Amino acid sequence: MTTLVRFDGVTLGYGRHPVLTDLSFDIPEGDFLGLVGPNGSGKTTILRAILSTLDPIAGTVTRAPGLRFGYVPQRDQVDYGFPLKVLDVVLMGRYDRIGIGRRPSAEDRALAVSALDHVGIAELAGQPLSALSGGQKQRTLIARALVGKPNVLVLDEPTTGMDLVATTQILGLVRDLHERDRLTVLMVSHALNEVANYVERIALVDEGQFRIGPIGEILGEEVLSHIYGIPVEVASVGGHRIVLARRASGRVQMHD
Amino acid sequence: MIDIILLFRDALYGSLVIGLACSVLGVYVVLRRIVFVGAALAQISSAGIALALFLSGLGVEAFGLTSQPVALSLIVTLLAAMLFSGGTRHRLPPDAKIGMAYALAAAAGILLIAKATAGEAHDIFLSGNILGITRRDTVVLLAISTPVLLLHAVFYKEFLFVSFDQETARTLGYSVTRWNLLLYFTLGLVIAFAMQFAGVLLVFNFLVLPAVTGLLVARSMGGMFAVAVGAGLAAAAIGFSLSVPFDLPTSPTIIAVSGALAFIAWLIRLAQRR
Repeated sequence: MTTLVRFDGVTLGYGRHPVLTDLSFDIPEGDFLGLVGPNGSGKTTILRAILSTLDPIAGTVTRAPGLRFGYVPQRDQVDYGFPLKVLDVVLMGRYDRIGIGRRPSAEDRALAVSALDHVGIAELAGQPLSALSGGQKQRTLIARALVGKPNVLVLDEPTTGMDLVATTQILGLVRDLHERDRLTVLMVSHALNEVANYVERIALVDEGQFRIGPIGEILGEEVLSHIYGIPVEVASVGGHRIVLARRASGRVQMHD
Repeated sequence: MIDIILLFRDALYGSLVIGLACSVLGVYVVLRRIVFVGAALAQISSAGIALALFLSGLGVEAFGLTSQPVALSLIVTLLAAMLFSGGTRHRLPPDAKIGMAYALAAAAGILLIAKATAGEAHDIFLSGNILGITRRDTVVLLAISTPVLLLHAVFYKEFLFVSFDQETARTLGYSVTRWNLLLYFTLGLVIAFAMQFAGVLLVFNFLVLPAVTGLLVARSMGGMFAVAVGAGLAAAAIGFSLSVPFDLPTSPTIIAVSGALAFIAWLIRLAQRR
């Protein structure tokens, strides 16, 4: 299987201050990887290195030739105050292909409508972005990521601030895109329980520690207890994995 | 009444050019929530003029820059624009940096002009004199504004992308820093030239109020630009036409008209929501 991204002894940080050291892992073609950790743990730092927007302090990050990412940013990175229509936002995903100083063609517009159709909101193409629900906004951003025909779909905290229904629908859509289109997916999240039931592999990052592997291996109680530094229990409810932190009294609480 | 207005037609044309250029750039200023960058750059531009006058009074030539206050003002403004266009990963929050620059530039302008030779006579450089715009001044304003507006028309989608979603633009290979620098450079250029005629307050008005009017009623980017330009030109024309025959100060009259147009836009928005 082709390796799309390879980290080899990578140290990441800002300025001269390392945040994460000696990271070595691969993202193979067809992977469905969840990058999970609490806020401030360094997930976004790893993401930036994958996307080439942050250079490593040490080590090498190698990407397959011609590799193209479809990036879905965190919702608060996008300013919904702009009077943009849904189609205008999706077209942005083709801006680099259209070229600097050139206008989108009829073909670009058709591809944008097709991408909206692919995520189930083609009828919203002419609507103002600001008028959409949280889930519809996220679908718009996913359509924008898809319209550039990426090799890897990268989603940064795709369900933050969404209710249970919208969260389930968005995660279901991402899984469909992976299974139906054989799209390689990297999903970044602070919510282990959300990601655990969708992805095939997990990379856990917390307080400088990094562990990556198949879901069954990483979601072991011993591994999680070691990474989080507290006793952790993994329960199964209706076929869904739920990670719980064991309290001192012996009772458990859910780990987000 | 029309005869009196026509007597100042060159000043009217100049006001329209300033209104047009600032309204277009103002769309980015308002959408990017950097309205105080406009105020700070206008204030820094005026401090640049004051610095030139002060140094000139001391007999300092500085490669001939002090005899050309506009040239020194332009250099200072563009340097400040470059500083403001920098990233946000600094210890100082961006708005604190802008506020500090605004306060210091305002104070420096007043102090320098107070100690400049015949400083009182030069106050007009700082407060602007819109009625004093000549045909030559209008040509200069057009010569600056036309390439800036053409640049914005050609690179509309690039300026829009880096303004709307920098992180995604970066992942698609856009040099966000360079596009931001170009945007701020054009902003500094227009402000530095408009400032000498319109003054800090009127330039600030043209950068903010027409764009706000556009944002209130438009449902698309094209609509926002169209309404902003329309509001900027209308405010300049109506304000000018009211101020001359009724002997009102021109800049505040233009600003009052801008405010009235924004109020009407707000009422329209309220009506649309019902």
